[in-house]
Amino acid sequence: MKKGFIAVFLVIALLVPMTVFAAAVKIGVINSMTGPEAPIGENLTNGIKLAQEDLKKKGINVDLVWEDDTGKPQIAMSAMEKLATRENVAGVVGPYTSACANAVAKLSEKYKVPLLVPAAAKEEITRQGYKWVYRMNAPADVYASVLIDATMSLGKPKTIAFIYENTDFGTSTTKTAKEYVMKKGLQVVADEPYSKGSPDYRSTLTKIKAKKPDLVFMVSYVADAILLMRQAREIGLQPQAFLGGGAGFTTVQFAKEKEISNCVLSCTQWTDDVSWPGARDFGARYKAKFGKEPTYHAACAYESMMIMAQTAAQSAGDREKTRAALKAGKWNGIMGEVRFADYAGFTNQNNHQMLVQQIQEGKYETVYPKQFATKKTVYPFPAWK
Amino acid sequence: MIVFFQSLLSGVLIGGVYALIGIGLTIIFGVMRIINFAHGDIMMIGMYLAYNLFTLAGVDPFLSIVIIVPVMFLFGALLQKLFINRILNALPQNQILLTIGLGLIMSNTMMLIFTSDYKILSTTYSSSSVNLFGISISEPLAISFAITAAITAALYWFFLKTDTGQAIRATAQDREAAQLMGINVKRMSIIACGVGAALAGTAGALISPTYYIFPQIGSAFTLKAFVITVLGGMGSVLGATLGGVVIGIAESMGAVYISSGWKDVVVFILFLLILLFKPSGLMGKSRT
Repeated sequence: MKKGFIAVFLVIALLVPMTVFAAAVKIGVINSMTGPEAPIGENLTNGIKLAQEDLKKKGINVDLVWEDDTGKPQIAMSAMEKLATRENVAGVVGPYTSACANAVAKLSEKYKVPLLVPAAAKEEITRQGYKWVYRMNAPADVYASVLIDATMSLGKPKTIAFIYENTDFGTSTTKTAKEYVMKKGLQVVADEPYSKGSPDYRSTLTKIKAKKPDLVFMVSYVADAILLMRQAREIGLQPQAFLGGGAGFTTVQFAKEKEISNCVLSCTQWTDDVSWPGARDFGARYKAKFGKEPTYHAACAYESMMIMAQTAAQSAGDREKTRAALKAGKWNGIMGEVRFADYAGFTNQNNHQMLVQQIQEGKYETVYPKQFATKKTVYPFPAWK
Repeated sequence: MIVFFQSLLSGVLIGGVYALIGIGLTIIFGVMRIINFAHGDIMMIGMYLAYNLFTLAGVDPFLSIVIIVPVMFLFGALLQKLFINRILNALPQNQILLTIGLGLIMSNTMMLIFTSDYKILSTTYSSSSVNLFGISISEPLAISFAITAAITAALYWFFLKTDTGQAIRATAQDREAAQLMGINVKRMSIIACGVGAALAGTAGALISPTYYIFPQIGSAFTLKAFVITVLGGMGSVLGATLGGVVIGIAESMGAVYISSGWKDVVVFILFLLILLFKPSGLMGKSRT
């Protein structure tokens, strides 16, 4: 009898840690699920959902704790506190906006929780020497440099005008863009930040038109991109090229407005026609499942979740081990090669190759760098009809 | 010089739409002494109505106001009858909470139905313009300005010449005295609230071909309507019209001659200055 008990006890003792090991790894997600940034936030949510499916196929059960920051840094911060202290997650993926990600980064360092930022571009996020903060996407300086490089390879622009929203994303992208164009010998003729959500940019655009810039560089989220281009057409602003810095200029909604979006150049972190492993397949699956085209945010979030969950599962949910494994690891997926390196003042930053795409007849075509190009660039910008 | 006139014109045109929102708010305030914090959300509902009429039934957004005006009038009247009427004598903070709450319910209901995606209403003329001496005039804005002007004129006539209009003004001036004179104050409140909502909805429809639509858009316009109303003098229709145009021009000029990032600051400084030097607003009469 006694022996029997011991045997049962031993079996249980063996099983318990096994089940604990096979139990789901807990990962937190902070994203803008509601609020003004929700249309793009939805892409991140969907990308993460696809990642969860794929992880399951690989035998990794992920227990996701979803937190909605509504686009506000203070809410993102309280979400992080909750995830770090009460939920005890192994790692966090998110938040979407730069302002939220930058605020949360400080907390992840304080609570020692690995944070993988999928798509926020503000440079400072990975420029503060944080050990626990990792970033998938290329930071804001690359947004500008890849676009300027692309146009410099196409023509000989001399002057450039900037119009951008006065948020972390807009100012940060533009600040480095200005430094970069000065290095390249371009002259900045207009520098116009705007507060987003106003119905009328005509007066600002008229001011820019009077300066006759060769390039017009814009940074905005979804709907402002459409308004800016509509009103640019109305007043007849005619540069050699319109450059859109990510976000609003990379959405299907924008491309659909063919009258105004045709031939606009924008930079992106990802397209589904690029040769990175699984990119095309991801695009097709996303479309089939959600009935929409994915933006680059979806791909960034997908790959971030894949990496974070796999690393955390291998480290059995241990935060310190996860952090070390993220630092040492190397991946090759739909975002191309991913490695979290230290360079040019950045820490744990994936030196991601950004792409330039042009909207041609309502479709995004990759046009730069050459090895990823699917179509030839239309340059200069054709006259408004 | 072209830049100056362009921004002046843009300001006036966009100010016209602001005016329409402001007039709606000022009428509701005038008659019921309630600041309707759901005003922007009512406008948002007008936008969604215009959007759906356009995408589902192919009704032009400018024509759709023929349907939107009566629908929104009923909606506003219903709001007054069901909710606002019950708190007419309540503490001001309770009234504010009620209208804020109604606004939240509206915006979140719309989010449940239409998701938070930005909706863009693209008509054939959405980004077309007429060029006049180098100044471009946005066609949809010009049309909506003309409609606004017509509506304002009609309202003016309604308030000055018709019996109902005079009864509403009497209620606005002194609720109790009006009641003693045999005016059905309750009905006037319902009409005023309906007219206010109809105007906000119309403003939404008029701006929808040039702007974008999403459930949370209301709050920004509520604030703007509030500033316009106070600037013009609370309860004054003419003041709200003037206030709307002034705000439109201030925004537009501020964007050009200071910086677009600072245009809201320009508006609020202007607002503060008027409050300092003419606390009752441009057209307002002091109530003491």
